[in-house]
Amino acid sequence: MKKKFSMEKYSRILILLLFIIVLTIIRPKSFPTVNNISNVLWSISVVGILVSGSIFVMLLGGIDLSVGSLMGLSAVVTVLTIRNNNYSNKGVILGIALALLVGIAAGALHGFFVITFHVPAFLVTFATQSIFLGISMVLTNNKILSCLEPKLFTNIGLGRIGPFTFPIYFMIIIALFSFFVLNKTVLGRHIYAVGGNQEASRISGISVKKITMISYIISSLTAAVGGIVLASMTQQGMASTGVGYDTEVITAAVIGGVSLAGGSGTIQGAIIGAMFVGLLKNGMNLMNVPSTNQGLVKGLVIICAVALDIMQKKEKVGGNV
Amino acid sequence: MSQEIILEVKDINKSFFGVQVLHKVNLEVRKGEVHALMGENGAGKSTLIKIITGAYTKDEGKIFWKGKEVEMNSLKDCQALGMACIYQELSVIPALSVAQNIYLGREPKRGKTGLIHYKKMNQMAQELIDKYEFPLKATDMVDSLSIGLRQLVEILKGLSSNSQLLIMDEPTASLSAKEASILFQIIDSLRKQEVSIIYISHRLEEVYRLSDRLTILRDGRNAAVLEREEIRPKEVIQTMIGKVVDESAGSKKTLTQNTKEAALKVEGLTRKGFFEKVSFEVRRGEILGFGGLIGAGRTEVMRCLYGADKYQSGKIWIEGKEYIPTSPKKSIAFGFGFVPEDRRGQGFIPLLSMNRNMALTNYDIIKQMAFSISSKEEVDMCEKMIKKMDIRPADPQKQVGLMSGGNQQKVVIGKWLVRNLKILIVDEPTAGIDVGAKDEIYHILEELAAKGVVVILVSSDLQELVRVSHRILVMRKGKIVKELAEGTITQADILEAASGIESQEEVAG
Repeated sequence: MKKKFSMEKYSRILILLLFIIVLTIIRPKSFPTVNNISNVLWSISVVGILVSGSIFVMLLGGIDLSVGSLMGLSAVVTVLTIRNNNYSNKGVILGIALALLVGIAAGALHGFFVITFHVPAFLVTFATQSIFLGISMVLTNNKILSCLEPKLFTNIGLGRIGPFTFPIYFMIIIALFSFFVLNKTVLGRHIYAVGGNQEASRISGISVKKITMISYIISSLTAAVGGIVLASMTQQGMASTGVGYDTEVITAAVIGGVSLAGGSGTIQGAIIGAMFVGLLKNGMNLMNVPSTNQGLVKGLVIICAVALDIMQKKEKVGGNV
Repeated sequence: MSQEIILEVKDINKSFFGVQVLHKVNLEVRKGEVHALMGENGAGKSTLIKIITGAYTKDEGKIFWKGKEVEMNSLKDCQALGMACIYQELSVIPALSVAQNIYLGREPKRGKTGLIHYKKMNQMAQELIDKYEFPLKATDMVDSLSIGLRQLVEILKGLSSNSQLLIMDEPTASLSAKEASILFQIIDSLRKQEVSIIYISHRLEEVYRLSDRLTILRDGRNAAVLEREEIRPKEVIQTMIGKVVDESAGSKKTLTQNTKEAALKVEGLTRKGFFEKVSFEVRRGEILGFGGLIGAGRTEVMRCLYGADKYQSGKIWIEGKEYIPTSPKKSIAFGFGFVPEDRRGQGFIPLLSMNRNMALTNYDIIKQMAFSISSKEEVDMCEKMIKKMDIRPADPQKQVGLMSGGNQQKVVIGKWLVRNLKILIVDEPTAGIDVGAKDEIYHILEELAAKGVVVILVSSDLQELVRVSHRILVMRKGKIVKELAEGTITQADILEAASGIESQEEVAG
């Protein structure tokens, strides 16, 4: 059967392209340069990594507010381990492994509370947001721990292949992995099902608990990865390093059409959402919009995106999921 | 009881989408009487009530309140006149006290300050409670009350605005026997205080116990209005169903015993508070019908059998071996199929396509390479099912939430048909779907049975039960009370057993 061209499916990418064209016309000298594009991609790479995991929780209708402070904890754990191992390569590997373990443990903790006590996800992760930040502060004595070597560590965030830095490739790999899981595997099918109707999924033989647990672990795991990358980018470990990233992730997802009620949304959409936010910031910088006004613009864009999304869904008679 | 008529509804006609659901329906309620309204599912009771309360507009006809013609355009109109409707789904707010609920939005104020005069409000509520002798305190928090008592709060809310007519729609549906008896006492005391009540119920024994008069609807028409002394159980049932012996399909049937070996055996299954010591057998290729009123425990038995809920005691054997259902997943792998009662809430994922919904229970038989699902096989399976179930339009990518009820149910049933089924449980499979789709679903159930699958059909549609089942068990209040296995059976047989008339006959007749 021949598919009709679906405006809805491609509207986001079209708007993004339009936006790129407009920026190219307005700032022909500064915007369409390899350097600038590489910078924009680098600036969104951490959000891209985070949203690739957070989307699992959002598709279930949950939300992970602890992403930012977990990043801080992950960064602190990595840097502390490296420093305690005399900035050796062994320390780097150990630090990364420890940070990832912290991520898995944090996700399991979230999953446990959501499943066992039916606490709403935003409350659980709101509480752990504060807990993770607290642990990081205790570990660092609330100081900034710098970490300028070894190369194995600093390359994670600053190394490059061609014009692009490593984090961009990490983002692409993790987003592709997320795409594969969500679109090609039984786990992905089950996540959309549970997010769409938990009771019907249970009756259909899906272990809702297992799916929930896995999703929270994936979300926290990508937060830990984001923390490692950010630590390397900034060459330091700091408790508050990830503050604000939780809302960045939600912004990207919402602009990308991920429903916070669960059950619908794609990783492609979320990445486009992240790019849109990155380009918006870049565009405003290039046009010398003072940073004091940028939050206002971002907020308006979110509201418009959500309103547009709802309008489109109302018009829609059929369509793909 | 006075002869004064408080509400008169005359010659009401109402159509939905060209289908006439009410034909010149009349209803007359006297002051201080309990007037029961009965009829089978779809007879038009709810539509009539919704017209009286202003939720629907009538096409033709008149409504008189105390002899004056009135127009009902909203619930507000009906409240202003002094009518209150107690719905099955309660609208009380759990986090507030009884008094706060009763006077919600109409709280007495301290002078002109706008502050609520709590002392006065509690006093007013307590006076009201004492007047009708409700077992409540004005300061009780609603969330500490049982469902039955919450319903009383709802009734108080109605009475507090000096309502002279209360409409109760299946008020005992979610009440325990004890709670129901408290409600009956209260209805008696309301009657003494000259409050009129329209009482809608499927439960015949309640109607006999309470009502002064009874209006029976059938197929959207007035079938009878009976005075208290004219109410006789068997006749009421016959009036509800139609002719004494209706020759049309599905009103009676002659059954013969299936003599094949028992494929499923259930012994002493008990889930406290829902059903007790339920035992039955089903043979290979048999369609076993489960009749009974809503809340009789049929759905709960099926959910336990399937592993969706836990039970306390009892044993289950399938093909001679003991089976312990621990989860739907295990039961599906074993050969169960399950079509839940609540289609929208439990049957499908509305946001997902037909393709994804149908595949949901079948990923164990869809090919995968390195965790990657074969989309081709997924779609092929769906297209096969679409053909088999005759779903139109035949688009596997169509979102199930946007399809008609009949097509949705075909998707819910269809996903089981690709599997090697041993037992298929269907709970109210045709509720709210059109006649054509119904026939197709019956056909599929019969086909499955012919292949040797055990089919268990739970249905409140008597015609369906008689037409499709090979044998019928009737449940009442959590127990199996009757088996209809041989000889000629009629819809009336099921309804009588379901409402427990046999034991009540001396009392009422």
